[in-house]
Amino acid sequence: MHKYKCEFLCVGGGIGGLMAAIAAGKKGIDVIVAEKADTRRSGSGSNGNDHFHCYIPECHGTDMSRVYREIGASFDAGPWVDSNLTAVWINRSFEIIKMWEEMGITMRPTGEWRFEGHGMPGQQLYNLKFDGALQKKCLTAEAKKQGARILNRVVIHDILTGEDGRVTGALGIDINNEEPEMVVIECKAALLATGMVSRMYPSITPAYMFNTPCCPATTGDAQAMAYRAGAKLVNMDMLNGHAGPKYLARGGKGTWIGVSTDIRGRSITSYNSKPSRATGDITADVWPTCYRDRLKQGKGPTFMNCTETPVEDLDYMLHTAMVSEGIDSITDYCEHYGIDLTKDMVEFGTYPIMMGQRGIEIDDHARSSIPGLYAAGNCTGNVNGSLAGAAAFGMVAGEDAAEYVKTVDEAPVGNEDLINERQQLYDAFMSRRDGAHWKEAASTLQNLMNEYASADQQNEDMLRAGMVYMGQLRENCLNELACANSHELLRSIEVLNMIDLAEPIFLCSENRKETRGPHVRADYSYMDITLNGKFQTIYKDKDGTVHLEYRFKK
Amino acid sequence: MPPVIDEKKCKKCGYCAAICPLDVLYLDKAAQKLLVRYPDECWHCKACMRDCPVKAITIRYPLSHMMLHYPKEVE
Ligand SMILES: Cc1cc2nc3c(=O)[nH]c(=O)nc-3n(C[C@H](O)[C@H](O)[C@H](O)COP(=O)(O)OP(=O)(O)OC[C@H]3O[C@@H](n4cnc5c(N)ncnc54)[C@H](O)[C@@H]3O)c2cc1C
Ligand code: SF4
Ligand code: SF4
Repeated sequence: MHKYKCEFLCVGGGIGGLMAAIAAGKKGIDVIVAEKADTRRSGSGSNGNDHFHCYIPECHGTDMSRVYREIGASFDAGPWVDSNLTAVWINRSFEIIKMWEEMGITMRPTGEWRFEGHGMPGQQLYNLKFDGALQKKCLTAEAKKQGARILNRVVIHDILTGEDGRVTGALGIDINNEEPEMVVIECKAALLATGMVSRMYPSITPAYMFNTPCCPATTGDAQAMAYRAGAKLVNMDMLNGHAGPKYLARGGKGTWIGVSTDIRGRSITSYNSKPSRATGDITADVWPTCYRDRLKQGKGPTFMNCTETPVEDLDYMLHTAMVSEGIDSITDYCEHYGIDLTKDMVEFGTYPIMMGQRGIEIDDHARSSIPGLYAAGNCTGNVNGSLAGAAAFGMVAGEDAAEYVKTVDEAPVGNEDLINERQQLYDAFMSRRDGAHWKEAASTLQNLMNEYASADQQNEDMLRAGMVYMGQLRENCLNELACANSHELLRSIEVLNMIDLAEPIFLCSENRKETRGPHVRADYSYMDITLNGKFQTIYKDKDGTVHLEYRFKK
Repeated sequence: MPPVIDEKKCKKCGYCAAICPLDVLYLDKAAQKLLVRYPDECWHCKACMRDCPVKAITIRYPLSHMMLHYPKEVE
């Protein structure tokens, strides 16, 4: 067993985790980043991002009510976020942009602050168009410069808490060698920032589970370990997803310069009828299910139509913007198959459920309900988890943790029982012969989620049955999974985490006895107005009792 | 087999295997061979291709991931 000790542990070295490590390192505390892959190229920002949602006073003026209103109406905020948290990331966004520029990330490819895409016609534009192709390398270098130790290929499985309820450490596995090694890290505070839940529902190509719009290595580990440790989750009943080309699943729809049209080239909404490099096509941002909805209504197929896009804008989109965004696989694909976007329209689809911004409830200091436990980015449930939100709350968490660790004494990691239990589980998986492969379990998990916690329609009986079947799957996994090496143990742990995460999804969905937004109930087909403006939270106390509550959106 | 390795160019440095976010690639040090061990777990993100110092990697897009495109109808 490898043992480490630090003051502040960042679980996940994506955008949120590295920003937390940088902020805490600057304040002089001892930081470890534990990362499943390699921080230089991991997570949803691995190969780049090109839009940084931000407020820059010299560009957007000082009428903050306008700024909040316009950003609030766009997809990055949406209804399922607390406004006080939105204010935090908006107000710190420019500071982060200047910091990133100093780290060597190209925030002004043209030399000036330039805003493009994700734009609502008639409003100010808030998405800074930058080149994020090297962002993860720059953030990694800065985290190291600020003294953080980075443990690549260390997968965290559980957060450990002491008798008094505060964080004492974490456990997981080191997968650097063929034979996995258990890892226990002692710390006073920890940040969870493991990103989306990409593989809980079937992908758009069910036989190929890793064909997902966001990084398939992000499997809801943070939300699952937070829930097991007793932290509060929020908005788990609001299933969401993404849209993009069929069947090459890719995030970054905002990078396309085109219009969503039908087969005859008619725009499907009134936002814009001609392609605009300035605004992009807002349709899929404000109505991400439009492609699926239209199919169901018998109105498909629907295309991303770039045939009217000026050639110089198309060239820029394919060879500059898509590279900055890390989606130039689309460019390569077009070139390989001779797809000419001046003539060919690309069919878009709404991808199956991929939970992002549904998860750990945090406050304006990025604190979860467990003392010493923080969260940031796509694994949080009540704030924008995309680039700006992940970066800002990672930074806020790092700053707050640096103060917090000074106020608490060192405590033993404890949790001998859980550590032993996990060690025995890993040993059993690794020594079992002729057992079950993780893909078998992943397939059943995805089928159960797709049918029993469906994005189309749910009812109480299906949700209850699904919960029971999920319990059976967990039991079978514990008794039967077998792993040939550390890679397979990693994949097995991911499946176990997603099975655990199914519980709050099923329970919250069952308890929301109404139809609202993406939550569609056949047995409660109306909206319950007493739930207007309310978020549902869930947590489990020490003796396993589940608490479901509604609270007002802030 | 999504990433395709040009055996003649590859220096077996292991960098691509280290940074692949999905742990698809594996450098077998004993055999001095770079293996595409888990091809169906590839995200087609191009990180390996971008970062290979000698440009020994290309990506093959599988037929399962076909990008549907339709010629604009000219009236
Ligand atoms: C193609 C694409 C384009 C995008 N473009 C934009 C854009 O232009 N603008 C924008 O605002 N947003 C964009 N996004 C979204 C943005 O990238 C994410 O919102 C952001 O990366 C979230 O940061 P995060 O820290 O929450 O998670 P991530 O950056 O995804 O990092 C999570 C990290 O946790 C690691 N991890 C997972 N589980 C564990 C575990 N158990 N133990 C240790 N480590 C673990 C992962 O390997 C990963 O490194 C895009 C996403 C994609 C996929
Ligand atoms: S990075 Fe390139 S040279 Fe190095 S092992 Fe990979 S393919 Fe070979
Ligand atoms: S394309 Fe991405 S996921 Fe596939 S092997 Fe290369 S680095 Fe790994």
